[in-house]
Amino acid sequence: MGRFVLRRLLASIPALFLVSLITFGLLWLVPGDPASIFLDTSATAEELARVRRELGLDRPFLIRMGEWYLRLLQGDLGTSLLLNRSVTSAIFERLPVTLSLTALAFFFAVLIGVAAGVVAAVRHGKAADQGMMTLALLGLSIPEFWLGLVLIWSVAVLLPIFPAGDYVAFAKDPWQWARHIALPTFTLACVQMGFVARMARSSMLEVLGQDFVRTARAKGLPEPYVVLRHGLVNAMVPIVTVMGIMVGGLLGGAVVIEQVFSIPGMGRLIIGAVLSRDFPVIQGGLLFLALIYLGVNLLVDLLYAVIDPRVRLE
Amino acid sequence: MAAASASFAPTALPTPTGRPSFARRLFANRSFTIGLLLVGTVAVLALLAGVIAPFDPLKGNFRARLVEPNAMYWMGTDHFGRDILSRVLFGARISLQIAFMVALITALAGVFIGATAGYFRRLDNPIMRVMDAFMAFPSIILAIAISSVLGASVTNVIIALSIAATPHTARIVRASVMVVREMEYVEAARALGAGHMRILLRHVLANAMAPLVVRVTYVFAVAILNEAVLSYIGVGPPPPAPTFGAIIANGRDFIIAAPWITVAPGLAILVSVLGLNMLGDGLRDVLDPRMAVATR
Amino acid sequence: MKKTYLTLAMSALLLLTGGGPAHAQKKGGDVVIAMTAAPPSLDPHATSAQVARNVNLHMFETLYARDENARPVPDLATGVTVSPDGLTYVFNLRQGVKFHNGKDMTSADVVASLERYRKAGASPALVAAISSVAASGPNQVTIKLKSVQSTFLGNLSSPRAPIAIMPSEEAAKDMGKADPIGTGPFRFVEFKPDSHVKIARFDGYKPNPAYKERDGFAGAKVVYLDSVTFRFMPEAGARDAALQTGQVQINETTDGPTAKRLRGNPNLQVIPVLPWAAMILKFNMAQGIGADLNFRRAVAQSLNLEEIMAVAYADIYRLDTSWVFAGSAYHTGRTTPKQDLVAAKASLAKSAYKGEKVTFIVHNDRPTVDTATVIQQQLAQIGVTVDLKVADWPTTSKIGLGSDEGWNLWTHGFGIEPYEGPASSMSHWVKGQGQRKADPMIDSIFDRFNSEMIVNAQQRLFTDFEKQMNDQVIAVNMGNFGLFQVATTKLKNFKPYRIPRMWGVWLD
Repeated sequence: MGRFVLRRLLASIPALFLVSLITFGLLWLVPGDPASIFLDTSATAEELARVRRELGLDRPFLIRMGEWYLRLLQGDLGTSLLLNRSVTSAIFERLPVTLSLTALAFFFAVLIGVAAGVVAAVRHGKAADQGMMTLALLGLSIPEFWLGLVLIWSVAVLLPIFPAGDYVAFAKDPWQWARHIALPTFTLACVQMGFVARMARSSMLEVLGQDFVRTARAKGLPEPYVVLRHGLVNAMVPIVTVMGIMVGGLLGGAVVIEQVFSIPGMGRLIIGAVLSRDFPVIQGGLLFLALIYLGVNLLVDLLYAVIDPRVRLE
Repeated sequence: MAAASASFAPTALPTPTGRPSFARRLFANRSFTIGLLLVGTVAVLALLAGVIAPFDPLKGNFRARLVEPNAMYWMGTDHFGRDILSRVLFGARISLQIAFMVALITALAGVFIGATAGYFRRLDNPIMRVMDAFMAFPSIILAIAISSVLGASVTNVIIALSIAATPHTARIVRASVMVVREMEYVEAARALGAGHMRILLRHVLANAMAPLVVRVTYVFAVAILNEAVLSYIGVGPPPPAPTFGAIIANGRDFIIAAPWITVAPGLAILVSVLGLNMLGDGLRDVLDPRMAVATR
Repeated sequence: MKKTYLTLAMSALLLLTGGGPAHAQKKGGDVVIAMTAAPPSLDPHATSAQVARNVNLHMFETLYARDENARPVPDLATGVTVSPDGLTYVFNLRQGVKFHNGKDMTSADVVASLERYRKAGASPALVAAISSVAASGPNQVTIKLKSVQSTFLGNLSSPRAPIAIMPSEEAAKDMGKADPIGTGPFRFVEFKPDSHVKIARFDGYKPNPAYKERDGFAGAKVVYLDSVTFRFMPEAGARDAALQTGQVQINETTDGPTAKRLRGNPNLQVIPVLPWAAMILKFNMAQGIGADLNFRRAVAQSLNLEEIMAVAYADIYRLDTSWVFAGSAYHTGRTTPKQDLVAAKASLAKSAYKGEKVTFIVHNDRPTVDTATVIQQQLAQIGVTVDLKVADWPTTSKIGLGSDEGWNLWTHGFGIEPYEGPASSMSHWVKGQGQRKADPMIDSIFDRFNSEMIVNAQQRLFTDFEKQMNDQVIAVNMGNFGLFQVATTKLKNFKPYRIPRMWGVWLD
């Protein structure tokens, strides 16, 4: 197992390098630079040139790229051009926010999704099944940012039950943290909940139809035991596979949700950086996201191997 | 495998196993028919937009700005005085066109890349490493970045969304191809002297069809959603294109003063995507050989 | 009898409880302002962004500052003596002015700040006329100019990218790296990018004794609040929602329809700010169809200004095409041109336009995009096909300022210049900066304006400028627009200005 992990970690280095190359490629192609953000709409070419000079942006692109890689090898992601702090500290300020949002949404999506899927599978063909699956389908089909907007308008402005956005750290005020994170989490989890519910149902159905389950039933084992111990555990295998994709979907969704609810997370950091061309932050942020994504995939593969001993870790 | 190829080719007579034809099974599937109905309705409305839309979606009536939904403007107007219903109808056309192109390009590119990686062992690793690198970007950020680079236009949005959706599609195709590659009948065909191309097309891809079709339906649906997000962020197709996302983005500043601008296009997206998802479900139920095995 | 006692008792009660308009200033409290974006820098020399000004001009001050009518008046200086030839300015500084770090302000700090700005400040044009800056005493600074500049005090007091006075130690740091230590009535507390900037009352601040009350950026700046937090909320909906739920006390800007809804809320006061800026349409006169006068004329004649402004800036616009705002001594009350499609088509026929696509660039600010969208529709009516290129500001500014290629039309707001005065308004078109091709007449008018000290003559020159802009259709000034600021009714004595000033206001 240890060797597998090490090999995977080493294998992820070329992937990360590719990610950084792709990012540089995009940055090289994208027109404009952060100098313009320092100036208002009546900026002149002279002012733009001066700010570019002060920011060090008039140096050749390849040199700036080389410097970035050199600094990276020393563990330094550079300084943001607009945020007045190092990229690393900007990321570490934002990361917990996005992670808590994503983790919470993941947790609820899996919890509710699996529960719904199992119930639907067990009551296959009946009203509960139809109802659950219709809801799941709806959740899957709804545009997240639109749901967020609608929720803000309805239960934050019209009926001021929830706050309209923003983030309060758990450490500062747990109750306010919960109030502020409720709507974003629900919105984010909605789509994935539907996805998980359907996966869980179909995977449960497949397992429950198999011979060994019929055997267990024939042996006279109680139904709940059959469903949970044999059914669910085996059904989880494909769900675990899909978790990696889920996290990708959640991270992508978090990016948009953060925008809608004005939450200071990684998503807003990167989108803001892309729109204002804060190159160091774009580089560092995307690399970090890739790292998270690869890390989660590694975890999922390990989990998969643990759950299903038939899988060989090649 | 006989079941697989039989299940894909529609036949008029029942197969020896006594199961009805593919087409009949398809239309017997409730998910598929409801999905088809929904998508069909949206598509028909979009096609007929020019005929049924009550107003010009691009022309503003400056005396009718931000009108609440009423008898004349069923979905109200925006701050230009443009009829939201007309914009949604024409928006369906553009949004569906974009999504269709994305699905098509993704299918073609995904098949090409995935089949190549799955069939030619030596190319597998390098190709998949590159795909992995692209997949490590959340697709929406990739799309935003590409849109920013290429500039905002319908074509560029299609390119951006296609690039974002292709790696995963390629992966799916590759997986199917790899499964079949090892199968005995392929080895038999090789032994009989069949060329790579022929094997690929006739046997290997036929097996990949089912998951590919399902995946492409999904890509179509997600493209509609993602185009909306791109427009919301500000890197979608430029005005005056009334894509669903653009209408929502326009209404954003006025959500307190005129919430109807946001509601209508959102519901339109919901219905379209819902229909597509149900369509995909139905297709998967009927096409997926695994499911066919399970019900035997 | 009973009635009289009752009335007396009621009056006494009212007096005691302060019934009726409360005018007593209350010290204390924190005000949260919702702002559209985060400042790119808290180094005032480094940026001309509005959101940076909002914060920096609370912490920093300048030698001269603009008063309520945009006239330059002394702020950190007590006054100035100008030599008869107009080339030497001797500023006497106020004494006992402290920086936020406790240090006293001296001429050394002023010189260091000015030199820093000359070297790398964001608006080099402001200090271009300076030939030397020297401390001629512990509280005196002498500035020598290369040539006479009637607008020099105006430049020195420009709030756009202000020539703020900072300690010489900070001035020694690279551009963008100076700590926010100024002489202003507020001091820096914290800056959480993507969240907020917080400033607090600087207790060592002494309001300028030469003034009795606040006056634009100058005057007596008395702070009653404990602190002010500027929250960055790019989403208009989020700002409005936060205002309604009490998370913020002021929304820096909102649009007409939303303001109309919010007026119904008894806890909120809606304050229209008009004029804020002018909306202009620029042509690329260096290349392409923009170089053709008949084409430009055709465009100008096909515009229905009322429609454009009503859509983009509903309820908060004024049709005024002078290049300074009403109230200025230089304002010319010209009649607003009406749409004339017949004349427009005739002009187009005379031009070299052959039906090709016209590239129109705008940055993705909703009203700006709306303006361009309406113009696109109006131009379609005379047969001009517009390719609207909406992009973020970095891209748009790169295309518009980077080279002569890639655009024919460009529209954006033009705000601080008309406010600052005629010279500022003209400077944008000097040496072809705005229109990419120098107009010798405008350049000459500008030079003469700078060396002209008499107001009447200046007015005549400015009228000539406006005539040239109009005759040659160098750019179209489509009118003034404003914005709505919405605040809680608990905030007293708030008067809008170029920044939401938090001195002289208190919470009830």
